[in-house]
Amino acid sequence: MKAFLIDVTKCVGCHACQIGCKDEHCDNDWAPYAAPQPEVGQFWLKVNQYERGGNSHVRVAYIPTLCNHCENAPCMKAAKNGAVYRREDGLVLIDPVKAKGQKKIVEACPYHVVYWNEELQIPQKCTGCAHLLDGNHPISVPRCVDNCHVDVITFGEEADLDLEGTEVLHPEWGTKPRVFYKGLPKKFIAGTVYDPVAEEVVIGAAVTVSGEAGTYAAVTNDWGDFTVDGLPEADWTVTIEKDGKQTSFSVSTKEKDQGLPDIALA
Amino acid sequence: MKEVKTTLQSIACGGTGGDITAVDSVDGKIVRIRPINYLDTYTADELEPAMWKLEAGGEILTPGYKSAPNYFALAYKNRVYSKNRVKYPLKRVDWEPGGDPAKINAANRGKSKFVRISWEEALDIMESELKRIIETYGPHSVLTIGEDGHRESKDLHSGGGMHSTVMDKLGGYTRETRTPDSVEGWYWGAKHFWGAGSQKGLGMPAPPQQDYNSWHVAKDITENTEMIAFAAGDLELTQNYGSQFWSRLIKFWEKVGKEFVVIDPFCNYTAACHPTMKWIPILPNTDAALDFAVMYVWITEGLYDADYIATHSVGFEKVKAYVLGEDEEGIAKTPAWASERCGVPVWTIKAYARNRAKKVTSSVHFSSGAIKGPYSHEPGRTHAYLLGMQGLGKPGVQQMFMNSATIGKETIAATTCSPFTMLNKCRMFYPSAQSIPRTMIAEALLNGQAKWWGSPCIVFVETAEQFQEMNYPGDPQAALAMAQAMAAYMGVEPPTEAPRLNKFHMLWSEKPCNQNCWDGGFRYQDAIRTNEVEFFVTNHQWLENDSLFADLVLPVTTVLEENDAVGGSMIISIRHACLTPAACDRVGESKSDYEIGLELGDRFGFREQLDMGMSEEEWFKFGFEQSRLPEEITWEEYSKRGFYFPKQDPNADSVLPGMRGFYLDPENWPLDTPTGKLEFWSEALATTFPDDFERTPMAKWIVGGPKSEGWYHDESLWGERCKQFPLLVVANPARFRVHVQGDDIKWFREIETCKVKGPDGYLYEPIWMNPADAEARGITDGDIVKLFNERGTILLGARVSDRVVKGAVMVHKGSRVDPIAEHLDRGGAINLISPENQVSKYCKGFAVTGYLVEAAKVTGEEYAGWKADYPEAFERDYDPAIGINYNSWVVE
Repeated sequence: MKAFLIDVTKCVGCHACQIGCKDEHCDNDWAPYAAPQPEVGQFWLKVNQYERGGNSHVRVAYIPTLCNHCENAPCMKAAKNGAVYRREDGLVLIDPVKAKGQKKIVEACPYHVVYWNEELQIPQKCTGCAHLLDGNHPISVPRCVDNCHVDVITFGEEADLDLEGTEVLHPEWGTKPRVFYKGLPKKFIAGTVYDPVAEEVVIGAAVTVSGEAGTYAAVTNDWGDFTVDGLPEADWTVTIEKDGKQTSFSVSTKEKDQGLPDIALA
Repeated sequence: MKEVKTTLQSIACGGTGGDITAVDSVDGKIVRIRPINYLDTYTADELEPAMWKLEAGGEILTPGYKSAPNYFALAYKNRVYSKNRVKYPLKRVDWEPGGDPAKINAANRGKSKFVRISWEEALDIMESELKRIIETYGPHSVLTIGEDGHRESKDLHSGGGMHSTVMDKLGGYTRETRTPDSVEGWYWGAKHFWGAGSQKGLGMPAPPQQDYNSWHVAKDITENTEMIAFAAGDLELTQNYGSQFWSRLIKFWEKVGKEFVVIDPFCNYTAACHPTMKWIPILPNTDAALDFAVMYVWITEGLYDADYIATHSVGFEKVKAYVLGEDEEGIAKTPAWASERCGVPVWTIKAYARNRAKKVTSSVHFSSGAIKGPYSHEPGRTHAYLLGMQGLGKPGVQQMFMNSATIGKETIAATTCSPFTMLNKCRMFYPSAQSIPRTMIAEALLNGQAKWWGSPCIVFVETAEQFQEMNYPGDPQAALAMAQAMAAYMGVEPPTEAPRLNKFHMLWSEKPCNQNCWDGGFRYQDAIRTNEVEFFVTNHQWLENDSLFADLVLPVTTVLEENDAVGGSMIISIRHACLTPAACDRVGESKSDYEIGLELGDRFGFREQLDMGMSEEEWFKFGFEQSRLPEEITWEEYSKRGFYFPKQDPNADSVLPGMRGFYLDPENWPLDTPTGKLEFWSEALATTFPDDFERTPMAKWIVGGPKSEGWYHDESLWGERCKQFPLLVVANPARFRVHVQGDDIKWFREIETCKVKGPDGYLYEPIWMNPADAEARGITDGDIVKLFNERGTILLGARVSDRVVKGAVMVHKGSRVDPIAEHLDRGGAINLISPENQVSKYCKGFAVTGYLVEAAKVTGEEYAGWKADYPEAFERDYDPAIGINYNSWVVE
């Protein structure tokens, strides 16, 4: 059974995967696998961008998302006439002929990765570039995979992929996705610690982030910076300490990451 | 299944190609554009001699077997089949040939629309207008714009300069000199510190003893550098010029433990995606203040290489006195002093200084930031001073830049950037009896005269050339003397008669984006709208920018429609020679620049002087035979395989990296400065321009001042204008464009950070604003914002973001112009409001970032007013998917 593995820690946000998907499917008719994707407005693969943090501690997370080719696919259940089917290799496809008029297929997907083609009156989504996999084309892998130059997206037999420590999106929905993610962002707290009297950054200060969700530790680096990453969404007390000086304050990662204003350790 | 034809292409926005792409097509139509796997054509054993290697900490990086085309190239189907393509020759509806002010309707340029005409009619106009202009004023009254081909990568079909070749046969032309864009600060500043530099003139360091080539800089950094400072450089963005390989290089450097610091007003695309980056937000164009404070820390704490300074430099005492406040000015450039100016906290300035001193540091620069602002010679020099104080050339202390970014060294390589084959020498910079810098065309048209110093050609210009006064209109006797000197050099009969020089009255552009790529765009529009310009013709693929102001637009093929031979040789993963046959049918009636030249050659009877009587295939073979490729591969083998990677030089390691020779042995590896050393104080500047208080003999903190006192700029937060325009704009190249190219790519435009959809459904160019600045102006995400100064107003869409430092706004350069009225534009082309008066008095490069503006939310009332006053602008056809387009400007 095929699966996608997406390592978001490697993603540089170039969107070449998204462009490759468009290049393959817009204005190209791959019947019976898929009808052409409209030139704009549909994203069979979409890179979502999340701006994180604040002040001088800002990052952007890029997360490519596509059809999860779920084992337990709600779209298949919503479809009539077997308009959505699973191939032997596990890819879930929408038959563009049988699916005509079946808007429920769009509505059934909790991930919102099925799109409605108003002109053709059909639901459309990622096919895993099944037409390429089946041969007689210059390449035989999905275009998003072929276009990625930093190996963020890999595709293959599930058994051949290193799925250790991966997650799927919204496992609680019970859809059993076949797109696995490595390094999905959690929350971070980051800051720069300085001595207001000496006007120097404080190097080697012990930073403790603690709350009901656990306790995390870090040490400020050569820039006086610390980053505590991988935090759950929770309320925290941050304590910073060096040479008998200490400061303590509360922050929350319930809503967002915390890129803090510079912190005086007096 | 229909037969798929696959061709190889080398798609990039500049002259030297990108990583190789494969273009699959069926029945003359493009199906897909994708990376290629070299192993489909060559075996690993065959490729082995061509594969460079970088090694550090037991890790090895190679180019790999798969190309990494820039994402611009991967979206190129959108460019070829853009709704904005010029399909047929177009003539402006209310312009007539003949130069009669009553019939050219100059003031309507950029307002009136176009009609389709036949090629026959278009060539008739070209022929008759060229004859008329030459007869009336002489051939030098034709200004040829865009000789450098700063757009697609072509070779035979020429990416620029074919018009100059044609004019050369007609007796001459006025040459538009490409100013040193993207390297301004190095060119006007650092050249006086470390010499002419790369390509004998760019201004980034390169040893004269290696023909001005800095080889192995990435290797030296990989092996010896501990910290990489990105000052004025955003690799993740700028690499889109040719390849996405640089992401892999950064990842490799991360893996082997390099540290990184990014100093930028914007948390740029490199800083945002790599978790190892330390971002130091700084106010735009205040880098010199930060650098002086770093020097202060180093000097007061003894953290610089004093021995090196003693043996490798002159004039350091003067800089030292200035920094310590021990000069006439008496102001110590302490971290506190700098912090007030650049906005970086005192403690972070100190940490930056100490980290740079403690860790072996190289600097990476890729054409952004302060290096392109007003008085860019100051940060250009202070950046260079820092490298000098750390022992430039020492293991791991280098500057990496576009032309020194080549990894490995091929046996048959001529330079770090030149292609392995060259056919049509259109792109070469011909000398001309009369010239004008690209930055001064508007001044020449509006004032009838211009004065500048230096050619100022971007490459192959020695530093001392900047001391030479030049004038427009040109001096016929000086032109004669130059022609005679050239004849003597070439051993041919010298001319005896001085050329007939006049002002130019015809503009012919093969790169119609001056108002958007260069400075003072609104003023350029004003100049084009005068009767001085009797005829303005552009050759271009897309109906945009300067073409909207043209009288005649000739449709040009894209690189994918032409049979050509273009290799890639700059900022790509592995350099190559490549044959690039046409991938698809032509769009409309387009012809290549070369073919347009040949058509005119037929009209004037000199076609054979242009095509040399050769077919395309003969040209490619000729180019191959002229090159050094036959030393390694036969024509038969090369044309069968379609591309070739030249072998790595087995003796490559004997070539010293970057500036190492100068570091090891300054006596035998002198710089080409007057003293052969690093000149912290330039006696040449002191002697030549004693009155220059903007670019003094050494770098200073220059903020400018009022025009009445002789200042060229008041574009800082310490003058008068900032009271009216309190924000500093950062105008870096765009993430999802290359310069002005690709603003019509549908698949980019729908990316959420590419454009901002206004309440009117128009996709505005984003203005990135810090939440505090936005809030102070009542601006929220998605609002239509007007950004303005005395030079005009452009409309943008608000993107409120923590990625931009408070006090600055960021607008990516290069969104297409969409004129509403004079000095009012909806397209968001930031260069329309950039300064009009260049870097400084003696430095006529552009200043296109780090200048003053103010932003305000556009009210409903104001918007309705514009709509009522300029209905035709708001009624033009608009397709959000691609924006303004062919239908917006062509009447049936």
